Amino acid sequence: MDSSSYFAQANEVELFEAAAAMKLPILIKGPTGCGKTRFIEFMGQKLGRKVHTVVCHDDLSAADLIGRHLIREEGTYWQDGPLTKAVREGGICYLDEVIEARKDTTVVLHSLADYRRVLPIDRTGELIEAHPDFMLVVSYNPGYQNVLKGMKPSTKQRFIALSFDYPNAEIECQIIMKEGDVNETVAQKLVTIAHEIRRLKESDIQEAVSTRLLIYAAKLISQGFNPYDACVHSIVESLSDEEDVLEVLRTLIKLHFLDENN
Amino acid sequence: MEEQIGKVWDRFLKKKINKSYDDKRVFFTDKRKALNIFYHLLGGEKGKELQIADKRSIKTTRSVLERVSGSGTTFFLAWQDDKGVYLPASLAYFDNEKLNEMHYFWLVALAAKMPANAPNFAQKNLQIAHELIQTYPGFESFYQSAITYLIKERLRLSIKDPEQQRHELAFINSLVDRELINVSTYTLNNIYPFPLWLYPAQTSQQASNSFDDDAELENSPQKSEKTEELKMKKRSSQMDDEKKSDGLLIFLPDSLMSIMEQVNLDRSEDDSFDEDALYNAEDLEEITLGKKRANLSARIKMDLDFAEGAAEEYPLGKGHFINEWDYKKQDYLENYVCIKPIIDINIKPIALPKRLQKMVKKIASELDLMQLDRIKNNKLPYGDEINLDTWIEYLGHQDKSLHPQKFYESVERKCRDLATLILADVSLSTEAGITQEIRIIDMIKDGLMVFSESLNRLQDQFALYTFSSLKNTNVRFQIIKNFKEGYSDLIRGRIENIKPGYYTRLGAAIRESSKILDKQQTANKLLLIISDGKPNDVDRYDGRYGIEDTKKAIEEAKRLGITPFCVTIDLEAKDYLAYLFGRNGYVVIRDSKKLPKVLPEIYMNLTL
Repeated sequence: MDSSSYFAQANEVELFEAAAAMKLPILIKGPTGCGKTRFIEFMGQKLGRKVHTVVCHDDLSAADLIGRHLIREEGTYWQDGPLTKAVREGGICYLDEVIEARKDTTVVLHSLADYRRVLPIDRTGELIEAHPDFMLVVSYNPGYQNVLKGMKPSTKQRFIALSFDYPNAEIECQIIMKEGDVNETVAQKLVTIAHEIRRLKESDIQEAVSTRLLIYAAKLISQGFNPYDACVHSIVESLSDEEDVLEVLRTLIKLHFLDENN
Repeated sequence: MEEQIGKVWDRFLKKKINKSYDDKRVFFTDKRKALNIFYHLLGGEKGKELQIADKRSIKTTRSVLERVSGSGTTFFLAWQDDKGVYLPASLAYFDNEKLNEMHYFWLVALAAKMPANAPNFAQKNLQIAHELIQTYPGFESFYQSAITYLIKERLRLSIKDPEQQRHELAFINSLVDRELINVSTYTLNNIYPFPLWLYPAQTSQQASNSFDDDAELENSPQKSEKTEELKMKKRSSQMDDEKKSDGLLIFLPDSLMSIMEQVNLDRSEDDSFDEDALYNAEDLEEITLGKKRANLSARIKMDLDFAEGAAEEYPLGKGHFINEWDYKKQDYLENYVCIKPIIDINIKPIALPKRLQKMVKKIASELDLMQLDRIKNNKLPYGDEINLDTWIEYLGHQDKSLHPQKFYESVERKCRDLATLILADVSLSTEAGITQEIRIIDMIKDGLMVFSESLNRLQDQFALYTFSSLKNTNVRFQIIKNFKEGYSDLIRGRIENIKPGYYTRLGAAIRESSKILDKQQTANKLLLIISDGKPNDVDRYDGRYGIEDTKKAIEEAKRLGITPFCVTIDLEAKDYLAYLFGRNGYVVIRDSKKLPKVLPEIYMNLTL
């Protein structure tokens, strides 16, 4: 896969460029596998800026972002974290799944995400002014539910926010054709199935089928797997562990592909 | 003797005309869940429910045998209206279980694709059938074998009327050629019932005996509701048919539902009820006759309680009005519901009851294990900061190879910026017994008590309210503990004094709770609902109306940044709860006796 191709869903490319030009930070929210990361990589290439990706997790501390003192024989020395590195050298610092990080961690972003664009490092006493090419991008999936996870409003309200969803049928079809190397009929069928399954979201399944999974299915089909098996293994099985839900989904796939399967 | 012979003859005839394959029969109840999911998959409205259909009587051609045996007037047909989709309780047309199962899926697919009140249903059925086959090639083989078989069966009908013969011929031709019928004026009675079709809602032609709307509600029911009433009536008249014969095509193995329905309708006719009674009659599974009677006795009991004067309910003000969502109008009914906050007075403070002490102690020790204060971890191989003491100590060692380079420290801070409002449903259904001695309400009380102890131990902010309702004019919102009060023996006394109330107007209670939670200053707000059943009330707040209003109330709460979560002991709850709260927004407790133990666990899972 080359990240140079990206099908815009709406005006996100223009918005991103405008935000980059005005040195504004960006927040992207959207379900898993809808193209958030791909979009950032594409924009990084388009703007000619390096992308520093940090995948956030609940053990991520401020030191993991900013940097810390390490030790070698002569004593201690300071090691920049990915955020500090991007601030110094310029580039896009992309914090993936930012709500997974503890809330107190993301507070270090505050001074970077407003007009000041500085990063104070209290351990070294430095105050780093951000490189003109530095851009902060964070993303998260609003679908998870834990009461204590979620972005502080004070953090949220410093970003230009883009809301991603799965691309519309036409674009998704094109993406699947290109990435999965299948013909239009198959791609359209996959998109139809995806749209049907997405209706179950929130009620019967936790996360709906993503564009990423559809591409997997398309790839399996283009490798010569029969469409039913390809869909069951790439789309259906990963969506649920409940046998009765799986059974219905298999029935649906069967109904869609029986002519080729029999 | 004569009677005996008559019975044998009757059975023989029925067998003769009963062309179903009983050993291949597929039951709706076994497939309910799968069909529900399938319905949603194909785009069916999520608020609608799949239910078992009653018989419908259709005046149509009957074969000689049918006429002799007195059957062939009523049919179990699949139909839908804007509230639900009604499917036969079982299907056994085909000599193949797979086909019978597929028949259900077919009907559900039709229901998902067909608008509820489409005019010209025959045309619509044919058209959607073709569309389905095109979209889902998997239906092709089913449809082909089904129509082949069914057409063969239909040829056995003895149609006398030339007009009807013409219709039948056109119908069969259109099936075979997969074309639309060009006659657009079919009524139900023109064509002998066709099991692959989805029929429109039963509407009444005898609109003469309609109910009077004595407008007790502020918003009087709409026209469509009137036809609902008549529908029920019509069904009641059909009930009499039941004795005469069974359906030609299938029979309903459990006629329990029909009997209950009849009982309810008898009640609505002794004119002691307003139009609301019909809402009850419609959703039989929720409200039964017994429940209403119990309600009356409960009211008497309440009055007696007042007379005793020990613990007394004290209304806080006259009550205030809030909105309710009417899904039919797709709009709010402004200031429609009256919330009446009450508090119990003259309550005797009590210590923690002995029966709960052991459990509370155990849970407390578990909670203590989770230190929630700032934790500093030292001597780590990596971390936020170098601990200078450990560092110097390390430097002081002569032989460094013997000492691992562990001189980092890291700080973990866990603070809980969280306010929890517990909203307990104390409707009359909680009066039901789990065992001889224990009622559901007792378990809810114990649950609240243990849970409050745990929250108190964790020093989390919490408030406790219970609710029950009697129509939109009286939603009793009882304060057990508000956010400002500390947890004390008095609160325990109030919990102990909780009594079952009336019905469950959940949407209103959620709106009121959201309002209270919204005033809290914490970053996280949790609304924990403890319930034992669907939203319902004695007026039209039942079935889809109640569900849609509750859904709306939950959406409003979420918009305020509140996280609603529902703990229910209603085992049947899965379908509607997922729709209301989302897949991760609820938990069903199978054994309600476990409620006290499970509540703190759920809470910790949610918030850690």
